[in-house]
Amino acid sequence: MKASLASSLGLACFLTTATVVFAADPGAEDPNNWPQYNRTANAWRYSPLDQINKDNVSKLSVAWIAHGGNITMGIQQTPIVIDGVIYSITSGNRVAALDGKTGQQIWVYEPRLDPLTKKVLFAPYSRGVAVGHGMVFIGTVDGRGIALDQKTGKEKWQVQLTDFANCHGCNFTSPPVVAGDILTFGSTAGELATQGKIYGVEAATGNKAWEFNTIKEDPKSWPGESGKHGGGGAWMPGNYDAKTDTVFYGTGNPGKDFDASDRKGDNLYTDSVVALEAKTGKLKWHRQEIPHDVWDFDSPYEVLQFTKDGKDLIVHMNKSGYVFVLDKNNGNIDNIWPISDLKNFVKNIDPKTGELIGRVELTMNKETLICPSTFGARSWNAGAYNPKTGLWYNNVLDFCAYLKPVAQKVDPKEYGTGNTGSNDFGRMVMAPDGRKPGQLSANDPFTGKQKWSYAMDVPGFSCVLTTAGGLVFNGDPMGKLQAFDAETGKVLWSFNTGSGMRGGIVTYAVDGEQYILVPSGWGSYAALLLPALFPQLENVPAASMLIAFKISK
Amino acid sequence: MRFPVVWAGVVLVSGLVVAKLHAEEIPDLKDPKVITAGHELYLEKQCAHCHGEDGRGGVNLAQRTLDAKGVFTSIADGRERNGIRMPEWRGVLSDKQIWEATAYVLSISQASNKAAN
Repeated sequence: MKASLASSLGLACFLTTATVVFAADPGAEDPNNWPQYNRTANAWRYSPLDQINKDNVSKLSVAWIAHGGNITMGIQQTPIVIDGVIYSITSGNRVAALDGKTGQQIWVYEPRLDPLTKKVLFAPYSRGVAVGHGMVFIGTVDGRGIALDQKTGKEKWQVQLTDFANCHGCNFTSPPVVAGDILTFGSTAGELATQGKIYGVEAATGNKAWEFNTIKEDPKSWPGESGKHGGGGAWMPGNYDAKTDTVFYGTGNPGKDFDASDRKGDNLYTDSVVALEAKTGKLKWHRQEIPHDVWDFDSPYEVLQFTKDGKDLIVHMNKSGYVFVLDKNNGNIDNIWPISDLKNFVKNIDPKTGELIGRVELTMNKETLICPSTFGARSWNAGAYNPKTGLWYNNVLDFCAYLKPVAQKVDPKEYGTGNTGSNDFGRMVMAPDGRKPGQLSANDPFTGKQKWSYAMDVPGFSCVLTTAGGLVFNGDPMGKLQAFDAETGKVLWSFNTGSGMRGGIVTYAVDGEQYILVPSGWGSYAALLLPALFPQLENVPAASMLIAFKISK
Repeated sequence: MRFPVVWAGVVLVSGLVVAKLHAEEIPDLKDPKVITAGHELYLEKQCAHCHGEDGRGGVNLAQRTLDAKGVFTSIADGRERNGIRMPEWRGVLSDKQIWEATAYVLSISQASNKAAN
C-alpha cells in the first residue's frame, strides 16, 4: 500500500500545474503521515493520499470517535499523525497519544497550569503539538515549553519562556516549530500590553538559545514609550525551511489596536513576515504588510512556499485579506492581491510597492465601518493548496464591523482586558451589499484568479484539507462537514458531526487504509462573538471530539 | 484522623466566609449611581467584547433571567459553560466594583425588564 501511495505522490508531482514544484520537498516525508501543523514545511495542507477520492467519497463512514476531555473553548487543534499514532492536544493543554486505527488512548499528559490562566485573555486552548527528536513538544497557556517522551508521554524537560505574570498573560496558544535542533515558540501579544517575542530553544535540553523581539527598538518606528506595550507577537506556528535554516513567522498586530495616537511610526515588526535564522534567531529579512495598523489586521497566518518559474516564492495572507506573493530569499514583492472585494479599509494595496492607498483612519469615540471585520477576510484557520489543481482553498469571511477607538489606561494587574483602545473588538455587521457572509474560495495563489466558490450562510472557521484524491474537505460552525470536488467545487459528500469545527482536518493512512480525521467541537472567540451576527450559532452544542472516517467496506 | 481535622478546617473557613459576606455592605443594586459606575466598568473592562455595548452581543445578557448572587459569582470567579469561558475578575476588581458591575448587568437583564414592567 505504501508503494502505491508513493506512486500516487509521484503522479501528483508530475501533474503539478505549470512549473510549480514542491519547494520544501514534502515527498521526502512519508505520505501516510501528517507530521507537522501544516503537514509539510511548505504549509500546503495537501496530502498525496488518494485512496479516498471523488469516486468513493460518498461511502465515507465513521471509524471511531475519541473525546478530548474538557470542552472549554472547543477543540482548535490540528492533530499530528506519525506511523499510525495520533498526537492530540485539547483544552487545558491536555496531550494524548491515540491509536490511529481505533482511537484508543495510548498515554495522556496534563500539565498543572498556573491558576492565573483563569484570568487571562488567551486560554485555555491550543492549536496543536509538534513532534520530533523522539519527543512531543507543546507551548502552554502559562508560557512554558514542555517536552514529552513520544512513546510514553513522560515529561523530559520544561522551561518557562514568557514572563507570564508580568506580561498580562502572554503565552503560547500554538505549537512550536521543529527547526532542526532548535524549537521556535511564538507568543501571544497583539492585544496585550507587552512586547511579543519568538523564542529559540534547544530541542534536546530545553535550554533557551535566543529570543527575537517583534517590537523593534527604533524611535522612528515607535516614538516615545509606545513600543513598551507594542504587542505584535507570533501566535500561530511558523514554517521551517531546512535548506536555508530559516524559520518564517507572521506577526501580530500593534497595540493599542484601534488607538494609534501614541505610536505614529510604522510599528515594526508588527503585521509582518519575518525570516529568522533558526540557529541564532538573527533577522534575515522582514516584509511589513500593514504598516501602522489601526484595524487589528494581524499577519500571523501560514507562510506557503513555492518554486515557480525558477523563483522561490512565499504566499502569505494577513487578516486584511490581501495576499502577499514575496521572494522567499529577501521578501521583495512579486504581487499582492485581495481574497475578497469586500474591503474598504484602503482603496487598494499597490501590488508592486505594497503602499496602502487611501487608508481609512479611525476617529476617537466615533464608530467607523470597516470591511473586513476584526475576524479578517479569513480567520487563523489555514487554507490548503493542491498542486494537481493549482488552486488554494480558503474560508473567506465577507462581513464587516464598526470600530470605535476610546482612551484606555494600562492597568498593571490587568489580565482579561485587551490593550485595544476600545470597549470591544468591533460591532460586527453583515456586508452592506447584502452578500452571503462567507465562501469557500478556490483561487490561483499567485494571481488571485478565482476558479470557483461555494457560498455559505454561516462562514467556515476550520482549516481546509485537500488531497490527491481530487478532494477538498471543509467544516462549518454548525457541524456540517463537506467534501468538494477540488476542480469544480461540487459538493460530493456531507456529514453532521454534531458540533462546529474550528480545528484542522487532516488525513493519514495506517495498515493500508486512509482515514480522514476531523476535530469537532465549536469554540474559540468565534463562539463567543459570532452569535450576535449569526443567532443560529447560540445553540450549537459544545464538544471536544476527534472523529475518524474511512471508506466502509 | 486526618480527614475530620481537614473537614473541621473547611467548616471553620466556610463559616468565616459566610459571616464576611453577611457583614459586607452590598450596595443598592437599583441605585442609578451604582448602575452608572457599573456601566463604566463594563465598558472599561471590555465586557462589551463578548456581551455587546447594550448587553445584546454574542453572549446576550439582555435575554437572560439573572440573579444578583449568580452574576456576582460569575464575574468574580469566572464562568465556563457550553464550551465558552469568561475569565475571573477577583483580584483585578474589588468586591465593590464587582457589585457595581452586577448592578449594571441586572439593569439590562430579563429580570430587571420584567420588574420594570
